[in-house]
Order: sequence, then C-alpha cells, then structure tokens
Amino acid sequence: MTDPYKVLGVSRSANDDEIKDAYRKLAKKYHPDQYADSPLKELADEKMKEINEAYDTITAQRKGGQYGYNGAQNSVHYNNGSGFSDVRSLIMSGRIADAEQILNGVPGDRRNAEWYFLKGSVLYRRGWLEEAKDHFSTACQMEPGNGEYSAALNQAMSQRGGMYGGYNPNQSMNAGGCNTCDLCSGLLMADCCCECMGGDLIPCC
Amino acid sequence: MFGYVRPYTPELLVREYAQYKAVYCQLCRVLGQEYGPLARFALSYDCAFYALLALSVSGAQVEEQRRRCVCNPLKACTYLPSPGEEYKKAAALCVLLTYHKLRDDLDDSGFFRSLGSRLLLLNASPKAKKAKARYPFLARQAEQAMLAQRQAEDSQAGVDQCAEPTARLLEAVFSELAGCDGRQRPALERFGYFLGRWIYLMDAADDLQDDLREGSFNPFIARFGLTGKTSLTEEERAQAEAACNASLNATASQLVLALNLLDLDGFGPVVENIAAKGLPQIQKEILFLHVKDKPRRELKGL
Repeated sequence: MTDPYKVLGVSRSANDDEIKDAYRKLAKKYHPDQYADSPLKELADEKMKEINEAYDTITAQRKGGQYGYNGAQNSVHYNNGSGFSDVRSLIMSGRIADAEQILNGVPGDRRNAEWYFLKGSVLYRRGWLEEAKDHFSTACQMEPGNGEYSAALNQAMSQRGGMYGGYNPNQSMNAGGCNTCDLCSGLLMADCCCECMGGDLIPCC
Repeated sequence: MFGYVRPYTPELLVREYAQYKAVYCQLCRVLGQEYGPLARFALSYDCAFYALLALSVSGAQVEEQRRRCVCNPLKACTYLPSPGEEYKKAAALCVLLTYHKLRDDLDDSGFFRSLGSRLLLLNASPKAKKAKARYPFLARQAEQAMLAQRQAEDSQAGVDQCAEPTARLLEAVFSELAGCDGRQRPALERFGYFLGRWIYLMDAADDLQDDLREGSFNPFIARFGLTGKTSLTEEERAQAEAACNASLNATASQLVLALNLLDLDGFGPVVENIAAKGLPQIQKEILFLHVKDKPRRELKGL
C-alpha cells in the first residue's frame, strides 16, 4: 500500500489536527454524494476509499478517533411505485444510452412527470445541463409535491447560482475576507457588548 | 478556441505565475521553430493551458532556461523546455484551430470582408497541412468538430447540441493526454467535455450583442426568446447575461468535480487556479463588468 501520509498530502511530523484537517478537505473534495449523478462516481469512490484507508491507518497507528462526512443525498433510486423501473435501474447501473433509448420510445401521451425527471437525469449525466434543467422544472410543474423531482431541480438551480463553481455576482470574490462594512459593523457590535457589560467602546453611540 | 482560459493572477503565487509565463513563452518559441515566425500569432491562452495540462499529466521533468525573448531582443525571457511532445502537440493544436477559425470566417462573410482571412489563410494552409501530417489524430478531431458545429448551427439546434462539438473536441484531445494511464482517463475526458462546453457557451454569451445586431446565429437567441430583435434594452441585456451566467455556472460546477479527481504533478496549482478562479473571473469581466465595451485606460484599475 502507498504511504498513507502521502495520500493525505501531509508530512509525517503533522499533528492529529493537521491530519484531520487534510482528511476533511479531501473527504469533502471526493465525497461520493456530489458525484451521485456523474459517470465519475467510481473514480470518486476509489479516491474516497483510498483516503479513508490512509486516515484509518494513520489513526490506528496513532490511536486516534474517526470522522465521517455526511452530505445531502440526491440521485435516482429504486422506486416500487414507478412506471419506469427498468429505466431507473439502467440509469443506476450507468447505462445512459440504453435508458435514453427506452425513454425516447415512450409515446407523448404517456410522458408524465416521472418521464421528464428521468429524461432530465439522463441529460444531466450526459452533460446537457440546459435541457436537463428544463426537464426537471417540467417534472416539478406537473407534480409539485414530489421530493425527488424538486431535489433534482434544486441541485441544478444551486449549481447555476454559482455555489459550486463559476461566478456569483452577489458574492464577493474574496469570501471570508474582511471589508470596510464588516469592520464598522464589528465595531458597533463590540460597542453593544461593552455597553451590556457596563463599559463603553465608542462614547458617542 | 478563444482565449478565455486564463489564470486569475492575483491568487497565483509569484513562483506559479513565473512558471505559467515560462510555459507560455516556451510554447511561443516552439510555435516559431516548428511552423515559422508568422505562426506565433496563433498563440493563445487556451493552447498554453493545454500545454500546462499535458505537462502536469505526463509529469515531465522541465528545467528553466533564461534566454532572449524571440520577439523582443532586448527582453530576457524564462523558458521551460520539455523533452516530451507536449509543446509540439500544443503548437499543432494552435495552428489547426487557427486554420479552422479562418476557414470558418471565410464561409461566414462576403468576399471583401473576408479578404484579411483569405490572405492569412495563404500562410496558414501549408502550416495546417504540416501539423496534420505530424498529428493526424488532432487534425481529425478538429475537422470533425468544425463539421459538427456547422451542422448544428445550420439546423438551428439548441444550446446543448451546439456546445457538443467543442465539448467533444476537448474531451477527445484531453483523453489522448492520458495515454496508457487508464485511471486518469475518465476524469480527464469529463474535464475536457465541460471545459469545451464552457468555452463554447462563454463565446456565445460574449458574442450575443454582435450576433443580434448582425442577425447571425447564436444558440442563446432562441433560448431567451430574443428572435427578431436587433438590440436589447439595458434591462433585457442584464437579464440575458444573468441567464448566460447561470448556464456557465452549471457547467463550471461539473468541471470542478472532474478536476478534483485528477492527479496533477508540477503545475497542478496553476491548472486548479485557472479552472476554479480564472474561468469565474472571465465570466465576471465579460458578463458583469463589460470589459469589451470600455476603453483600454479604464480597464487598468480592474
């Protein structure tokens, strides 16, 4: 097996906290949930397994604790009441082209909300993100209360909002930085706190 | 390709920026050596990115050299030669893509407007032939992409269909970089697909105003229901640009997922900077700051 310290990208002299940090960062990076809808899932799983093993090895060596990562799940599942269970299992096993062929063969009057959701999932996996989003929103319009469809649409919309890549105009580029506004509001809050405790930081307010 | 794939320099280490420039200069030099001095004008940020990625994937041993700049004899430049084929392939890609771009211009505009392209083609055609003889794989991919692009545009296809040829081109070209490394291949392919898609969408978003004015094809026009309009009000323009930005964001988030899974030696941090920070910065500059509408001196402060 490869050197577990190298896998986590830390030096042998790193302390437990540094190792935990490195592991968390990598776990977040490779976490399978975000790859649930991607053909790269296997590779991500492999990488995740690698860092898990490396972390376990190091912690076993150092007799430390363990850390698990929980994220939001959002993907195509088996569904008993489904009219398209064959398509669902094809998508789950990664046979996108076959799934699409079956979906395209469904006549127009049988295309319900689930059909739009599954077609959207196929398009999403192929990288046709525009049409995928359109299909997800059609599915949500046809069946507004369905959690599966709205989860898919929400995920697509948050990616479009620039949370996971790209540019979000409503957010400053240096996230976590400190600007003049932060400085003033920080001072005001400090003043309030001081006043509560009987002191005063800014005498004029 | 169109020069949108650039690093966001404020967030690069000084050392990394120097490396990036050295790769860029080296590519310029190789272009001159292989295809003659005029071919240097085909140099682009996109092809420099390709060279950077190729060097990172192959883990080539590169060593800095300080020499005179090929264009300005009074300037000293740092070069980063590699014993492998990386720069030569990048140079061939530059030449081939420029050749196809010129051909495309020729078909799109009338005789007099395309006179410049015609003159340049006189020089570019033999160079493209040379590149094709050396790297038939790259030439075939580029040709296929141009053909599919033309078909998609002629049939007034949707956004996804129109982005497909460029996406597939980069998918194939990046996949070839993996060589025998089967482990890296799927992530490289996916990365290429979404980078190509991003480049195409960015170019379409950038050209939206011009295409509306000239009545040229642009997949976003039908998508946003702007068919028949020749100009947009401020409000319409802001709306259209926000929608383009959303499409680009969706693509960028997929691209980052693929990038996470790549093992990159050497230039890894620069490649990550370009994908995670450089691309968003271009979205900001073009769609929100409208850098192309402003005179040069106003841009100094950005």
